Amino acid sequence: MKRRISLFAFLSVVIAFLVSPTIGYAKDTVVGTSVALTGKYARTGQEQLQGFQMWIEEVNARGGLLGQKVALVHYDDESKPETGAKLYEKLITDDKVDLLIGPYSSDVTMAASTVAEKHNFPMVSSGASSSEIWERGYKNTFGLYTLADLYMDQIIELAKSKGLKKIALIYENTAFPRGVAVGVKSKAKQLGMQIVFEEEYGKASTDFSSMIIKIKAKKADMVIGGSYLPDSTAFMRQAKENRLYAKIFAFAVGPGLPDFGANLGLDAEGVMGNTQWEPTLKLPGAKEFSDKYKAKYGHEPGYHAGGGYGAGYVLEAAVKKAGSTDRDKVRAALFALDTVNAFGRFKVDATGKQIGKPAYAVQWLGGERHIVLPVEAATAKVAYPFKDWGKR
Amino acid sequence: MDLLEPEILLQLLINGLLAGALYALLAGGLNLIFGVMRVINIAHAEFMLIGAFGAYVLFNVFGLHPLLSLLIIVPAIFVVGYYFQRVLIERVVGRPMLTSLLATYGVSIILINVGLLIFSADFKSVPVLQGSFLVGELAISKPRTVAGLVSLILSVGVYLFLERTRLGKAVRAVSEHAQVAQICGIDVRQIRMLTFGMAAAMAGAAGVMLSIIYSFWPGSGVDFIQKCFAIIIIGGMGNFVGALYGGILLGVVESFVGGFISTQWAEAMAYLLLVAVLLIRPTGLKGVARA
Repeated sequence: MKRRISLFAFLSVVIAFLVSPTIGYAKDTVVGTSVALTGKYARTGQEQLQGFQMWIEEVNARGGLLGQKVALVHYDDESKPETGAKLYEKLITDDKVDLLIGPYSSDVTMAASTVAEKHNFPMVSSGASSSEIWERGYKNTFGLYTLADLYMDQIIELAKSKGLKKIALIYENTAFPRGVAVGVKSKAKQLGMQIVFEEEYGKASTDFSSMIIKIKAKKADMVIGGSYLPDSTAFMRQAKENRLYAKIFAFAVGPGLPDFGANLGLDAEGVMGNTQWEPTLKLPGAKEFSDKYKAKYGHEPGYHAGGGYGAGYVLEAAVKKAGSTDRDKVRAALFALDTVNAFGRFKVDATGKQIGKPAYAVQWLGGERHIVLPVEAATAKVAYPFKDWGKR
Repeated sequence: MDLLEPEILLQLLINGLLAGALYALLAGGLNLIFGVMRVINIAHAEFMLIGAFGAYVLFNVFGLHPLLSLLIIVPAIFVVGYYFQRVLIERVVGRPMLTSLLATYGVSIILINVGLLIFSADFKSVPVLQGSFLVGELAISKPRTVAGLVSLILSVGVYLFLERTRLGKAVRAVSEHAQVAQICGIDVRQIRMLTFGMAAAMAGAAGVMLSIIYSFWPGSGVDFIQKCFAIIIIGGMGNFVGALYGGILLGVVESFVGGFISTQWAEAMAYLLLVAVLLIRPTGLKGVARA
């Protein structure tokens, strides 16, 4: 019996240690966020968090925010909107954080922003780009990312200039990929191009071979995916297996990450995508951030890490402008802010939607990710058309 | 309608059969455990992922081809499963169903999180055997063909073991009626350990095959285990052959539904089939009613 009690006590201590969040001293300025550390968006969520944590280190090294140290409380939302909503409720009411950073993915942000709105709590949202988020009349969601609608515009314009007509469009059935699809459809219509194939797929889809067989039958010139990392990787792999050929393959998110090239190897060559940010962009502090990040985490930061880092700087600029962490003052400051940091320009319209930052198209060339469009920011020339599988 | 061209139909059928063979291998092990122990092993898909990560590590550290690493991983996971049964599962055999569900669910959570600690949440894959065999108009994926064939060989092997060998006969006897088997002199405990080891090894082999087809991360098991539950109910709970039928059926149906309707519907098929089977033949395709 005695042994049981001591075991019980031991376990209680262990559990208490494990579940207690990393809240600092009472007088710290506490920033709360949830990010996906497990689930489908885990990879990108982790990057975003690491970027944000680098800002925290930097701001504390500079003496903190308004003379107070900045502490972070973060939770894992498991890539699930419903978990995200609960966690933001907890951050606001239980942990009583002073400032809020948004989660990763439009999907989870949709849910989290509703909670923030309910409490009238301004939230700086990195990692969300679906325009749907800003169409609900909310006053507390401040986006960093270029909108999903604009993601594929430059690539579709390129396709048009090459005389392509038939687009196959596939996308996941969640907020951000649907946003990309809406943008693709309106751009295609505007340019007189035809969507010959369109299909949604579930968040857990791993097998696209049936879809690929149908796209093949439709003889599409280009394939556009409103996708994340796992699905775009799986799609390209299976496109090769099923010998699907198109002049352009372009995907959201996936090709913007180093993992895309690492997992696909040579098969990534020529695949296009888009990026919110690249370390090569000429922005104040971008290179320093990139070098520091690489030294710390062992790989180059992708745009998700850049976004997390940028979100910190936006928050810092807003709090400095407001002169306090008072919610109303911070909100007003965020609306009024027009600033440039390592992630790019931050300027929102009256809904909180990002309007200051352009979109960039990337392409995998020689095993590396290059910005190819717009030409001013390009680090390489577009390679067109996509090389057929048999000729590689 | 261009979708009705024979090449496309054949292509969908082949893709479905190959995917189905892998499902069958995974679900076969799960059903074997249920048949012999009346334990639903929620951690079954995590054993699969141990196989997948094993193949990943062997490939990246020693450059070992996944087909060769099968020879190491399958016996290794057999041993792990064998003793795992003895240490943990044996304690919940014969207890109320909820006990074993909770125990294996706990194991599943532990394994997923250990996986996350070691491998992080990054998606991994083993880039071998890429591309396809071209047969006329047909493109048959190389990794899927290999995975499908290996799965089929292993499943048939286990089937023959169960049908033809004395030990296999003993496994079936325990599955039929553990007490009578014990009275007849079969070491039931030993059989349960053997069965669990075998089932874990089958899951591990499925994992090695998975590693050459899909990208995976420590949380990938969930999608598979849910499908496996559906498969064993469709095929008949506790019936090894039923799981093989169920797996192949699901693979083919998913492929055709994906081709003719949409991928989203394909993903729902496991559960629609499940409901249909429960309505028409509640014991599953190969199941028999048990008291």
